[in-house]
Amino acid sequence: MKFTIYQESRPGKRPTNEDRIAYCYSRDALLMVVADGMGGHLHGEVAAQIAVQYITEAFQREAHPNLKDPFLFLSGGLANAHHAILDYAADRFLPEAPRTTCIACVVQDSIAYWAHAGDSRLYVIRGGRILSKTRDHSRVQRMIEDGLITSEDAVHHPARNRIFSCLGGVNAPQIDFSKKTPLMTGDVMALCTDGVWGPLSNEAIARTMGGGNIMQAVPALMNQAEAKGGANADNLSMIALRWEDNYAEDTLGSVSTKTMPIDSFTTQMEAFAKARKGAQPLPNLSDEEIERAIQEINSAIKKYSK
Amino acid sequence: MPSQANVPLPPGYRLDEYRIERQLSLGGFSIVYLAFDREDSPVAIKEYLPNSLALRTEGDELPSIAEENVTAFRYGMKCFFEEGRALAKLSHPNVVRVLNFFRANETVYMVMQYERGRTLQEHIQKHKGEIRESFIRAIFGRLLNGLREVHAHKLLHLDIKPSNIYLRSDGQPVLLDFGAARQTLSTDTPLLKPMYTPGFAAPEQYNTARRELLGPWTDIYSIGASIYACMAASAPQAANQRIQRDQLAPALKRWPDRYSKQLLETVDWCMRLNYLERPQSVFALQKALTDKQRNVPKPVTSFLGGLRKRVQSLIK
Repeated sequence: MKFTIYQESRPGKRPTNEDRIAYCYSRDALLMVVADGMGGHLHGEVAAQIAVQYITEAFQREAHPNLKDPFLFLSGGLANAHHAILDYAADRFLPEAPRTTCIACVVQDSIAYWAHAGDSRLYVIRGGRILSKTRDHSRVQRMIEDGLITSEDAVHHPARNRIFSCLGGVNAPQIDFSKKTPLMTGDVMALCTDGVWGPLSNEAIARTMGGGNIMQAVPALMNQAEAKGGANADNLSMIALRWEDNYAEDTLGSVSTKTMPIDSFTTQMEAFAKARKGAQPLPNLSDEEIERAIQEINSAIKKYSK
Repeated sequence: MPSQANVPLPPGYRLDEYRIERQLSLGGFSIVYLAFDREDSPVAIKEYLPNSLALRTEGDELPSIAEENVTAFRYGMKCFFEEGRALAKLSHPNVVRVLNFFRANETVYMVMQYERGRTLQEHIQKHKGEIRESFIRAIFGRLLNGLREVHAHKLLHLDIKPSNIYLRSDGQPVLLDFGAARQTLSTDTPLLKPMYTPGFAAPEQYNTARRELLGPWTDIYSIGASIYACMAASAPQAANQRIQRDQLAPALKRWPDRYSKQLLETVDWCMRLNYLERPQSVFALQKALTDKQRNVPKPVTSFLGGLRKRVQSLIK
């Protein structure tokens, strides 16, 4: 693995910093986590701290040197962090469990996997353009999707901070998972809290972060956000990664060995595609194929369940 | 081929880690049971059992499958897997959640979340002709969030109707039964031919030779028909009959006193026979359902449609 990584967190104009960020890597896998403790609730920073610490520790336990199933890791990590926060509240008889947003991302074999709850974001930027971005679990995001307001309205909307999914709340979090995203040389991944993206446009983020040197780009972007945030600037946190390996080269080199089992799976999918075209004699489905289909479905269920 | 009904597994039957309570529904392709898991939580279990290919008689656990049907039976199983695969990736509050998938009794089973509540069909029966506009807007507005997620996964439901829309006790609608989604695969298999619900299926669904005409607009027709059914308390005229002779009174003509013009126009817009004249995406429809002030955008009329209208206006 070859990459550049940079992280920074500032309190903005708030008395405390309730954001927590961390990254961590082994020889073959990398983890990044950003959590934004929710100020309206008790001990927001505690929830954020538990989430980041819990997921990082799980990564250190499981990534030897890479994770068996990154999505399963993320799904378990976020769900367990949620329960750890609830346990913390129960142990101390808190009237209400503290809450936090969470975005966690794993990169291994030049493939990125991420999962999130709440409105902390992840951007994948390629060639100065946004290739992919998380969808906030916020009321305004829903209103935009429902066509009730435009994204310009959202910037000043009174409910812009209301989110419907988080770790530690009364309701089980809704966790969204990414697709497996192959990374190319020069791709930038940026994870940040709403203190950073709130005052800025997506285009501004893509432009600044796509520029190349993330060591300079992150502080520059945070300066912009903090200035625009004004007298009431929120906590700001960001982790940025610039990937220096290339997925295409990786797979070319290792297709015969490491990725062999994955490859045989792909062949399996092709059989379905052929069937779709309506070959006259029906293709038979062997017992092994049935078992494999069931296994595949069950692992998808595990990956996408809370 | 005459199809007999399959006999369901008996109450109390132990199926893998579940205990069957009772049968919930029986379709041509499958049986759905209410069952309990190890923790005694209720689940819905769908058993793959197309009655044209496999028959289970009284007292048996294993279905008997005629030698010549074995390949078709297994092929249909693939389609059942397609449904499972599609649903497994969908985690949305307005779409039924799949919990597990397993093999037993020489067939396969899909375990789904069981929700307390009732179907929209039951609700319509109970509140005949009294369903309010606010209810329709709220239920369908949310349901469309789920449908949008379905379409985003490149999947069509193809069997949306009030009995497949479940109203959870907390008021959230849940879209059930993606059984018809498999039909996109099985056109070449006469024994597994599509079964549509008259009144709710779009006209293009009757044209089995041209599957490429199916799209989001096909599900949108069914949404329109379901809203129509809420208003009329019965299913609208079937689309294949409408093609022959359209006797469906437009919602705008039937209920001008009970519902807003904008809602009625939206329903009629969804139920246009020409799929190009309907809302083309769920998003477009959602906009119309959530925005009460704005008028329904004028449907995109095709060249021929426009011509027909002009001719009609001349005749008048």
